[in-house]
Parts: sequence; C-alpha cells; structure tokens
Amino acid sequence: MRYRLDLTLRQAEGALSRVLGTAERRGFRPLAVEGEARNDGDRWHLQMTVEGDRSADGLHQQLAKLYDCLDVQVQPCS
Amino acid sequence: MNGAHWLVDALCAEGVDTLFGYPGGAIMPFYDALHGSPLKHVLVRHEQGAAFAANGYARASGRVGVCVATSGPGASNLVTGIADAMLDSVPMVCITGQVGTPLMGTDAFQELDVFGMTMPIVKHNFLPRSVDDLPNVVREAFRLAREGRPGPVLIDLPKDVQNADASHLPAHVPAVVAPVPGASDAALHAALAQLALAQKPVIYAGGGIALGDAVEAFRTFVEATQIPTVLTLKGLGALPHAHPLNMGMLGMHGNRAANLAVHESDLLFVVGARFDDRATGKLAEFAPNARVVHLDVDACEIGKLRTADAPVQGDLSISLTRMLPASAAHPHGRHGAARFAWRDACLHAKQQCAPRYDAPGDTVYAPALLRRLSELAPDAIVCCDVGQHQMWVAQHWRFDDPRNHLTSGALGAMGFGLPAAIGAQMSRTHEGGPDAQVICVSGDGSFLMNVQELATVARYRLPVKIVLLDNQALGMVRQWQELFFERRYSEVDLSDNPDFCALALAFGVQTLKVDRADGVEAALQALIAAPGPMLLHVAIDQTANVWPLVPPNRNNTEMMDADDAFVLVQIAEPLLPSPATDPAGALPQCAIDSI
Repeated sequence: MRYRLDLTLRQAEGALSRVLGTAERRGFRPLAVEGEARNDGDRWHLQMTVEGDRSADGLHQQLAKLYDCLDVQVQPCS
Repeated sequence: MNGAHWLVDALCAEGVDTLFGYPGGAIMPFYDALHGSPLKHVLVRHEQGAAFAANGYARASGRVGVCVATSGPGASNLVTGIADAMLDSVPMVCITGQVGTPLMGTDAFQELDVFGMTMPIVKHNFLPRSVDDLPNVVREAFRLAREGRPGPVLIDLPKDVQNADASHLPAHVPAVVAPVPGASDAALHAALAQLALAQKPVIYAGGGIALGDAVEAFRTFVEATQIPTVLTLKGLGALPHAHPLNMGMLGMHGNRAANLAVHESDLLFVVGARFDDRATGKLAEFAPNARVVHLDVDACEIGKLRTADAPVQGDLSISLTRMLPASAAHPHGRHGAARFAWRDACLHAKQQCAPRYDAPGDTVYAPALLRRLSELAPDAIVCCDVGQHQMWVAQHWRFDDPRNHLTSGALGAMGFGLPAAIGAQMSRTHEGGPDAQVICVSGDGSFLMNVQELATVARYRLPVKIVLLDNQALGMVRQWQELFFERRYSEVDLSDNPDFCALALAFGVQTLKVDRADGVEAALQALIAAPGPMLLHVAIDQTANVWPLVPPNRNNTEMMDADDAFVLVQIAEPLLPSPATDPAGALPQCAIDSI
C-alpha cells in the first residue's frame, strides 16, 4: 500500500532525519519527499509518499509521537 | 558564569543529586563546573557503566537517571545503555560533550555525530548550538524523559557552548510534567462490555504498571475481579509473588500453567504490556480464542502486534480505578459461576505446574539457591545480567515489588547487572547509609562484560552483593545449540575463565565460594550478613538448562521440559470445556455511571 504523508515539523536540527528514519525503521519505504521551510513559526511543511505493508495507523502514531512533529496526516494514495 | 556552570545549577534545580560519568576533553568545562557543586558525581570505569548505572538508579528510584561522557568514544560507549533505557522505558538524561561548533563537521579529534547515532534510540535528542538554547533544552529534556511513557533524552553539548558566557540566562525553572489523561468514557465502556462477556478471562500485565505508578490500582482491580493474572518479565512483582491469582510469568521461559491459561482464555485483559515475542511465542497462535482489551499509556503499542477489540489508551491507574466498580460486579453477574470455575481451574493448574526444588545430587541447583536467597532477602533489589541466570531469577525469585526487579528486558544487554546494581544502591543510599539491600545476579559471561565496575563498587564502598553463577559457558547460547543446532557447540566454552575470587579480591571486594548443594545455606547467610560488598562465586553444572522452554516459532503450549527435551508434545488440554458463547455482537450493556 502507498500512503501520502502531510507533515508539519519544527525547524529543528534533525527533524527531517528523524521523520525519514522513523518511517523506514517502522517498515515504510520512502518513494518521494517534497517540502519547504516556511516563515509561519519556523516550521517545515513536508509531503512524503511511502510504501509498506504494515498498518498506516501504526505509522501515524509513531510519527505523531515525535517531539518535532507538530501534525501528521496519513492518506492512502495510488 | 558560563554555560557549564549554568547547566550544573539547572541539574540541581531539576532535583538531580547524583550523576554517573567519566570525564574527557570535550566535556571538561562541565567537569570543572562540577568541582565544588552539590552534585554527587560517581566516577565509573567505562562509559557503558555510567549509562547502566544511571539506568539502574532510575529504575530503582523512579527518578531521572543522569549520565555524562565526553565526545567521540565516550559518547559512543554510552550507546548500549541508552538503547536499553529506550527499549525498557527508563527516564534518563544523557549529557555528552561535543567538539566546539566551529569544528563540528570537520572530522575533528574525538568528533562523532552522536546526535545522529542516537536518534533511533532516544525519546528525543538536542544539540544546542548557542548558550541561549540551554534553558529550553534542559527544561524539555527532563520533561520528555519523565512525561507519559518515560525514556532517555540526550543533550550533545558543544564545548564552546559550555564555555560561553551565561550570566544573562535566567535561573532554571523545571517544566511542569503534564499528567497523562485517563481514557475516554467510550473506551472504558467498550472494555467493560468485553469484560462482562468473558467467561475465561486472563489479565496479562507488564512493566507499564510500575512505570505508571499503577501498582496499587492494579492489585485492587485483580482482587476485585478475581481474574487469574500472568505477568511479563518486567511485570514481575506487580502482583505479590504469593498472591493466589498470580499465575507467574508467561512466555518462552514462563510458567506452564500461565501459558495454558492464556491459550485457553476467551478474553485477554492486557495492562501495560506489549505482546513482545518472548511473551507471545508464535504470535498467530497466541491466545487464539481471546478477545483483547488493551490498556496502555502509549497509543503506539495498542494494535501494533495484536488488534485490540477494546483499546484503552491513557493513564493505567485512572482507567483501572474507573472500571473497578462495574468490573467488580462481574464475578457476581450472569457469568459468575463460569468465571469462578475458570479461576479455580487455573489455580489448580498452577499448583500442578509449580516448580520443584528437590533436585538430586551434590551440585548446586541454581533455581533452589535463588529461591532460598529471595526468602532470606525478601526486600532486596535484584539486578540481573542476561542469560540463563536471568531467567532463573524471573522464574524463582519471590518478587513483591516490580521496582525490586531490575533486568534488561527488551534489549537483553549482557553487562547490565553490576553497573545497574551500583546505580540502584546509590539511589537508596543516604547520609545514614544504605536503606536497601542490592543483589546483582550474574553469569560468568555477562560479568566480564563490565567487570571493571568492581572498582566503582570498591571506591564508594557500596554494599552490593554479587551472586556469580558460573557454568563456564555462555549457557543460554549453549542450551540453544544443544536443543536446536544438533549439539554443535560453537564458541560457548568459557572453561578458561579467570579466577573470579582472585579477580574480585584484586579490586578490594571480599569473596565467598560454594560448589556443593550442602554449602549453599551457609554461603547465603554469610553473603547477606556481610557489611560491605561481597562476591559469592557459585559453581554450577555446566549442562544445566532453563526449563520449561517454548521453542522458536512455536505456540506457548508447546513447552519443552527436561524430561521431554527432544520430544515436542502438544500438552494443552482445555482447562475447562468452552461454554456456549453469546451470539456475535451481543455485548452486554454496562452501567457507565461509575466510570
């Protein structure tokens, strides 16, 4: 299954590595990553497409638990 | 005042009184600030010892453990202890020196990307590049370590930040740790509905009970509901050992009756446990007929490995207490007779599967020795290493308090025991002296992994008692090679071990020896009576195995025992015939006024 992740992150050192690493370690292969830093409170806005067989809800919970992750939405995509 | 001095003051403000560490180049400003401070620094002899000692300190006290190391190898030596804290949810703050910010990224002397290296094994980590970042970093580090499901937080501190002027920074004010909210009414309602339906329920309880300060609420719940209870390795002690409803540990080396009860149950009421593979055996065949109610503080654990029919995310104590009135009525409800019959069948099975300690022969039988020691030192804090002795402790020690059992559960890190015992003893030593007996149970393989910490024991005259079970082998690996690798023994022979007593004496630690069963009682009495540190060397049978055992990729009813070690027997017989079940979906309505 493929999923699109919409993430809002703190612009903190390591935030991007942390998100990518968490997705990979929890069994999801990143297929595409796009994002930018915006001046709306020093935040990263990131979109990722990942692929994996495990529960998307589980990935959502793991990402939401990260200190630097302020918001995450996970949607199935084609 | 520089950044290092500000940090020392901040640690004091956070309530830290003891830290464990080892100095070096990039952390020297911090060590300079420690000089003359009220903080007690315990100098270990290897940074892994510092991490494990802080880990043991935190586990035994419930407070945040703090360890310190320099950059590069100092920091990388902490890694195993940090990972252990992450996997076992231990609150720690780890402070590592880093080269100055102008040198970072230049492959400078003792520069390592410790921030990147530790990212997967911490709850969070920080790399403050300015002294102005320190107040927020320290406040958040301690808050995160304590809050919700605890864990380790690392602060990688560049040397120039330590040296920078911090006189303009405000005095540190610790963050308020937000309490974990209770579960929703709807979640509790759904859990109660499942519980009311159950005729053969089992409570499966883990380390989350102690971590969540839910021991009293849990015991009250068990008593009121009269549900047979199985415990994970880290849940041992959540219910007193002698409690009639305590079926013992489940899983690979669990009690046979505990595994049977879980297998036959129609409801698994999971409290602060996480379906770890060592507990479940073959997951697809674990509790195959049971619905699942899963209580946990961490939403990530609910549904991760087994779907919960009733997920209950929130503070365990609040959830159990709010469910108590309604659940206490269930044994007297429409399934009351079936519930009591099930309970009695479980307790009967428990009696039938009770371990025996009358091993024949003159050699020391380790389970009997450990059982006897637990009777002689019922309130002791026990710090285990990893291997056969760890499982014997879990099976045979009479734990009445989960905080008295310090074991590297999830990571299974050999070398944990001795430094963890140092940390535990430090956490329970005050001006008047130690107020707890700390016993390290180790094996000859594990003990040599951090044997250098005998120097720390001797330096601080810590009255730690060490029971070294020596089978001259890596016993657990040898056991698996015997059973599952056709006795091809590969690199498990330790018959060239050093003379452990001479070794301990060289560090200034007194020793005792026992190698016969008839000498055990006197040796244990002498060990307990010794005022200072003492190592008891116990020679045990090289071929002794841990029984029972669930072979890999088998379900938990397929337990091997000494008598049928090479014959896998399906031993499970239903403890009770399955009663007629309710029509699908016909969950009873529960009064929710009380929740």
